[in-house]
Amino acid sequence: MEYHVRHETEYTYSQPVTIEHTALHLSPRPVAHQTCKRSSIQITPTPSTTSEGVDYFGNPVSYFTIEEPHQSMWVVAESVVSVDREPADVEKDDAAWETVRDGLATDVSTAGLDAYQFTFDSPTAGGTKELAAYARAAFAPGRPVMAATRDLTSRIHRDFRFDPRTTDVTTPVSQVFAQRSGVCQDFAHLMIACLRSLGLAARYVSGYLRTEPPPGQPRMIGADASHAWVGVFCPGPGWIDFDPTNNQIVRSDHVTLAWGRDYTDIAPVKGLVLGGGEHTVIARVDVAIQA
Amino acid sequence: MTPPQPPVTTAPATGLTGFPSIDGAYNEVIGDGGGLRPAWATLAPGLDALGPDTIRQRWAAAQRVMQENGVTYNVYGDPRGMHRPWALDPVPLVIPAAEWADVEAALVQRARLLNRVLADLYGPSKLLETRQLPSALVFANPNFLRPCVGLKPAGGRHLTLLAFDLARSPEGRWWVVNHRTQAPSGAGYALENRLIISRILPDLFRDCGVSRLAKFFGDLRDTLVEMSPRKNDDPHVALLTPGPHNETYFEHAYLARYLGFTLVEGGDLTVRDRRVYLKTLGGLQQIDVLLRRTDDGFCDPLELRSESVLGVAGLVQANAAGHVAVANALGSGLIETQSIMPFLPKLCRELLGEELGLPGVATWWCGQPKELAYVLDHLDTLVVKAAFAGDALQPVFGAYLTKQERSALREQILERPHRYLAQESVSLSTAPVWNDGVFSPRHVMLRAYVVATKDGYTVMPGGLARVSAAQDSMVVSMQHGGGSKDAWVLSDKPATSGRLVPPESRPVHVSRSGHLLPSRVADTLFWLGRYVERAEGLIQLLRAILIRLTEETFPVGSPELPRLFKVLTEQIGRPLESEPAHHPLVHHQATMAYVSSACFDPDHPESLAACVEKAQQLASIVRDRISLDTWRVVRQIGQTLEHHRTDPHDPTAVLAVVEDLVTPVAAFSGLNNESMTHGHGWRFLDLGRRIERAGFVVNLMQLLAVDVDQHESSILSALLAITNSDMTYRSRYRMSMAALPAVDLLLLDETNPRGVAFQLIRAEAHVGALPADRVEGQRTQEEKAVLSMLASLRLSDANELAAVDGNARVRLRQLLDTLQARLPEFSDLLNQDYLAHAQARQTLASPAADALYGEEQTI
Repeated sequence: MEYHVRHETEYTYSQPVTIEHTALHLSPRPVAHQTCKRSSIQITPTPSTTSEGVDYFGNPVSYFTIEEPHQSMWVVAESVVSVDREPADVEKDDAAWETVRDGLATDVSTAGLDAYQFTFDSPTAGGTKELAAYARAAFAPGRPVMAATRDLTSRIHRDFRFDPRTTDVTTPVSQVFAQRSGVCQDFAHLMIACLRSLGLAARYVSGYLRTEPPPGQPRMIGADASHAWVGVFCPGPGWIDFDPTNNQIVRSDHVTLAWGRDYTDIAPVKGLVLGGGEHTVIARVDVAIQA
Repeated sequence: MTPPQPPVTTAPATGLTGFPSIDGAYNEVIGDGGGLRPAWATLAPGLDALGPDTIRQRWAAAQRVMQENGVTYNVYGDPRGMHRPWALDPVPLVIPAAEWADVEAALVQRARLLNRVLADLYGPSKLLETRQLPSALVFANPNFLRPCVGLKPAGGRHLTLLAFDLARSPEGRWWVVNHRTQAPSGAGYALENRLIISRILPDLFRDCGVSRLAKFFGDLRDTLVEMSPRKNDDPHVALLTPGPHNETYFEHAYLARYLGFTLVEGGDLTVRDRRVYLKTLGGLQQIDVLLRRTDDGFCDPLELRSESVLGVAGLVQANAAGHVAVANALGSGLIETQSIMPFLPKLCRELLGEELGLPGVATWWCGQPKELAYVLDHLDTLVVKAAFAGDALQPVFGAYLTKQERSALREQILERPHRYLAQESVSLSTAPVWNDGVFSPRHVMLRAYVVATKDGYTVMPGGLARVSAAQDSMVVSMQHGGGSKDAWVLSDKPATSGRLVPPESRPVHVSRSGHLLPSRVADTLFWLGRYVERAEGLIQLLRAILIRLTEETFPVGSPELPRLFKVLTEQIGRPLESEPAHHPLVHHQATMAYVSSACFDPDHPESLAACVEKAQQLASIVRDRISLDTWRVVRQIGQTLEHHRTDPHDPTAVLAVVEDLVTPVAAFSGLNNESMTHGHGWRFLDLGRRIERAGFVVNLMQLLAVDVDQHESSILSALLAITNSDMTYRSRYRMSMAALPAVDLLLLDETNPRGVAFQLIRAEAHVGALPADRVEGQRTQEEKAVLSMLASLRLSDANELAAVDGNARVRLRQLLDTLQARLPEFSDLLNQDYLAHAQARQTLASPAADALYGEEQTI
């Protein structure tokens, strides 16, 4: 499936901003099942400096600085991405989750070390006893890791209410868990924290959903904004992505931007301004099927 | 949690030659046979020979010097807060030359080793692939800064300055207890300790043949200068401090001054085009090297910890681009953990091919199954600590836990084993501390410092010795009330130069301006000038009031008193509760309470005490910019106010305190004019004073503008006394008081240094000399503002101003009102055009400015 992605973000400030430093995670990263054919980022006002790089996790990152006084800033990221992801077969991998957990600690291959770091707490997704207890309902002793994770995905979808009014970007997992509601970012953090509290490797994936659903299916939640889901490490197939917000295993309807330990590693736009007063932000996302 | 309380073997003796130990601990002074250890052969009898009285006397002098120099260590939550004096003991810790040579070699080895480990972990990370280090030690560590992976530090070296905490076992062997790898503190205190102790024990210092510290700091400076990516003759090195509230801020200012570096806060710096610049009055100045005292995570809010306002947005990028060198390298907090200590012997063999020199204290990191099991089995004998720097967890001595507490600790460890490590209890040696006449035994630890040089590493011959607060305590921590000592490493070579002079190889250019002035510093100096001047005005006003309250003719002899109270009320912004002293005698108690509160009440925001407190705070922030004597004068004014033991109801006694302040306040202005170079910093300090003084005199003059009555001559004489212009008046006019000459003298006379016109002339000269984008033939806004005030004075006619219409002087009133409105406008202009960086920084506390934003919520 080939998509044309357009992600527009506009910041408006009540006071002039004299200098603004920004880091962007807005270019889709190349992955086995995903090719980025074209990608561009436009910034207004024109930055005095820009640079491109790759972050620790291998995600493309762009930096820019605006030095002229301004009261609004506008970022438009556009890309053409083709995604062809076979749905992972839950039944195929039958490694017990405890075996996977114990293997992570001893695997010193490059892939093994890379996966192992995602078992530890990160700034916004850390395990607790309570989360471990919640997760254990899905992770019965000896249960295969894929099946158990799929079960956890369903449980979160069932037990938690989607409600954008109850959380914001800074809401901690503990609060989401207590109030049983939130948005995709919260569900992703919650599921990651659950998996880490069992000693499994889980990562935060940021990206988009196709705007119009396949014929005959309902429009998915989060289809007109940035989206986030969870990657889980299984030694056989490698990383498998689960979307607790839409209760599914990720297939070709999801476009991957970047992954990290949690949102703070890969926030799509992160910046620091001098001045500015109050700010408001408006974002628009459109993921159209390329004819 | 209190550590064991070993009994003392003998009663405290008065002399060092019979110094007792604490049971089981190594006695630093006395050997096993009961005789003095050879290293103490000169110092111990020398101190005994001086005798308690001489020591007491010299020590009192030393403490005065420290207090005047403002040697402080801020303790969070301490009632004395920012002014907690540095605790130093007069008896140095002596270490023999041969013993030190071993320590030196071992510390250099550890520095090389730690540097290698860090280079690997932020580079190829082979140590994890080969299992030489458990990968969890890196991944579970919140100080592993992923954005710093792959950064190439200057010269490939991560660690420029390191510190090691050393302790001595009962057999006398040195052990490494801990190491500091990111921004080690205390080297500056070690230097200050040395300067004080060598001053009070000059003969013993010489006779003992003590190794000098200066070369170490010279090496530190040379190394930092060499790190500059721009190969010019005079790289700009800055010391990045978290700010005046940091516990060791004194040291930051002290080191910056001693090494000749600019002291900067995050808000003083800005990154443009991946270069770091200092915001100065004259524009942006590139910084080449940053010696940071800010913890890793706080250095760059864009890439590291977002909530930090201490750092510089874009620093990681600037560093990665190679445009600025940072010492120690960003991310070096990763191995600032004792958890790594058990791995060092093996790593030393494998990486350096050497045996590790000094042993480390036995340590078990609970992130490994076997070690975890051992720790859980031996909880009753071990000390449990946080595994990673920055964790708030306090050390727990297993031996002093109840059964329940121990099992709770076990649960806690099991839930997050990575967070914990356990160590054997460290035994510390015993050293004498001076306890007002006797030498008492205390446990002691030594913090030693290692600095990188061109050819490797070198060790400071000495260090910061720290002693426990009590005889029965094993905790040596400045945060927990311990003290410090100078450490004398004896030398077998003749002493080398003790002064820090630049090496001859580097050309030195004459520079008149010094390093350009950061805007924040200009702002602080400006307000320092204003507060000191405000204090001076208050002192003169309070003195005039108090003199009148103590005169025998009071109250009929001083009809001007109510008017003076009116001015006081305006100055301090709070009225007397009962309508002031229309008749002061009637409410004498209330009147004195009011005056005393205006003098001494630190909680009253505009009182004299509050002004002086504010001035002290500001002066402490710009310690590295003002002369030592100026600093002492500000301290002295503060001390006089803090320590007075005056009956607040006795006007004579209060008057005496106020009079004591007149001379130091006058000394402040003299010192600034004579000992501060007349650069931009001085101009801002003086501008603050001039604006404040002009405003004060204008306020006073309002007394002449309204309610003119038969008491005018007493008001005039009070005005002239308060403004210190009475001598001039009398020498010129030799006649009774009249308004016309007074108005001329205090407002229009451009030669009276206390008059308004004089202040404006000085201000005009200052703004004319400040850097500005000048358009040919045009004045700056500030120049116009001063000129318009000056013109309004010059165009005024003294006769018209003095003319009375009814009971008011209308023209005088108009002129004073104009000045009263324009002076603050002028101050605002200065702020806006020159100090704006500092302004933005000041509003940082509110979420509005310098805000960090994230993406819209992802849903």
